[in-house]
Amino acid sequence: MPDAKEQITTTILAVILVLLFFGVLFIVMLWYYNYRRRQTAREKKAMQDQFDQQLMQTRLEIQEQTFRYLSEEIHDHVGQLLSLAKIQLSSFREEEPIDFPLLKDAGANVARALQDLRSLAKGLHAGHIRHFSIREAVDEEVQRIRKAGGLTVSVTSEGAEKKIKDDKQLILFRIIQECLQNCLKHASATSINIGFTWYAEQLRVRVRDDGQGFDADRVLQLHTGGLGLENIRNRARLTGGSSVIYSRPGEGTTVTVQIPYE
Amino acid sequence: MQFLYFQYFQLFSLLIAIVCRKGLNSFSLGILIPILLLDNVTETVGVNYTRIFHSLDNYFVYNVYYVLSTPLYLYLYASMLKGDRREQRRLFFTGVAIETFILVNYFFIQGRAEFNTFTALLVGVANIVLSCLVLTRLAIRKDDGSNLVLDPIFWINAMILLFSLVSIIVLGMLKYISLNHIQFGRKSLYFALMEAANAALYTGYSGAFLLCQTQRSK
Repeated sequence: MPDAKEQITTTILAVILVLLFFGVLFIVMLWYYNYRRRQTAREKKAMQDQFDQQLMQTRLEIQEQTFRYLSEEIHDHVGQLLSLAKIQLSSFREEEPIDFPLLKDAGANVARALQDLRSLAKGLHAGHIRHFSIREAVDEEVQRIRKAGGLTVSVTSEGAEKKIKDDKQLILFRIIQECLQNCLKHASATSINIGFTWYAEQLRVRVRDDGQGFDADRVLQLHTGGLGLENIRNRARLTGGSSVIYSRPGEGTTVTVQIPYE
Repeated sequence: MQFLYFQYFQLFSLLIAIVCRKGLNSFSLGILIPILLLDNVTETVGVNYTRIFHSLDNYFVYNVYYVLSTPLYLYLYASMLKGDRREQRRLFFTGVAIETFILVNYFFIQGRAEFNTFTALLVGVANIVLSCLVLTRLAIRKDDGSNLVLDPIFWINAMILLFSLVSIIVLGMLKYISLNHIQFGRKSLYFALMEAANAALYTGYSGAFLLCQTQRSK
């Protein structure tokens, strides 16, 4: 009989231990689930912080770019036109008869300067990029490059244009600006094409130049491409999109960025 | 008057609960003070019942305990689940059904003199199901990045769950264990396991009450 009792005791203890094991397992699993969720939330927050930081940096860069452009525009165009008008007007003497064609010319120069100032003021508007569509913002940027001369820039678009979130639009614009600056600074290109393809869920932008190109794989692998290429990749990733930089020596450079609308 | 070792844990947790009552109230756990008071009174009376009243057993005390404590525990679960009105109504009707069964069992089925095994099993199952429900909800709801381990409700339910898993077997087989004098380490298996389980339960409670206080002051 003692053996039977021992067997029963052992069985009861075994059943309790098994139940306790499952109970503890359940509690540990819940804890682990909570731990994973907390970790994901932390990562998400870090991503969001990084995105916000990048957005702020992008805004500052765009602002800086705009100021630089304004300074150049005022110095090279408005300033020149007004200086010319001043010279023309200062040639008039009280005792001499009025030279009407010269006066008309001076007036036209002042009017042109005024026109230039108006368009500059439009560009200075605080929510400049936000109120534009990305296409309009890029068109304006292209106009600036064309004005400088020496380069053929074309913009093409496929599919119906869709609304992109303001923050993403700003970052995308900065990526395109970065690509264009790279072309102007390093590529020795004669033509640039910016292609927009509007898909159902995302926008693909391809910036292609016919410049000297470079070994993109090597540069990206060795991280010797400066901050420009890294910025393009990071920014595209932060918007939930992706980027591909393709270049070979002598074959030009193609940067493809895909960004979801939302 | 006899005082078993797990009763010190029980009394200690009651004292901690009283000291940390503000913390408990901030987590809607104030009902645990009357529950612990009832637990302490029941155990003190239960342990000494046979000696004082010259009775053969103390089943009467524990049968009454089930009748009285079940509504309190159900209220505790309702405040821990924090469900919507529909869910609270469901829990209320489930509670009414459980309490009705306990009363029917107490008066008509197993009676007052015999230990209400069916009641013990039903309460054990209800505790397991409800504590699992609270724990699961707690883990799902914690989307604010807060740590589950620092939540007193997590510890209270974890301890109730583990205690119930032990008690459902031991109390379900109570009659068999006592009739056959089944022992573990020179002690009745019932006492050996239930005393340890109670000590663990009330230690867990005490920790949770202290957490209530620290979390509140944060």
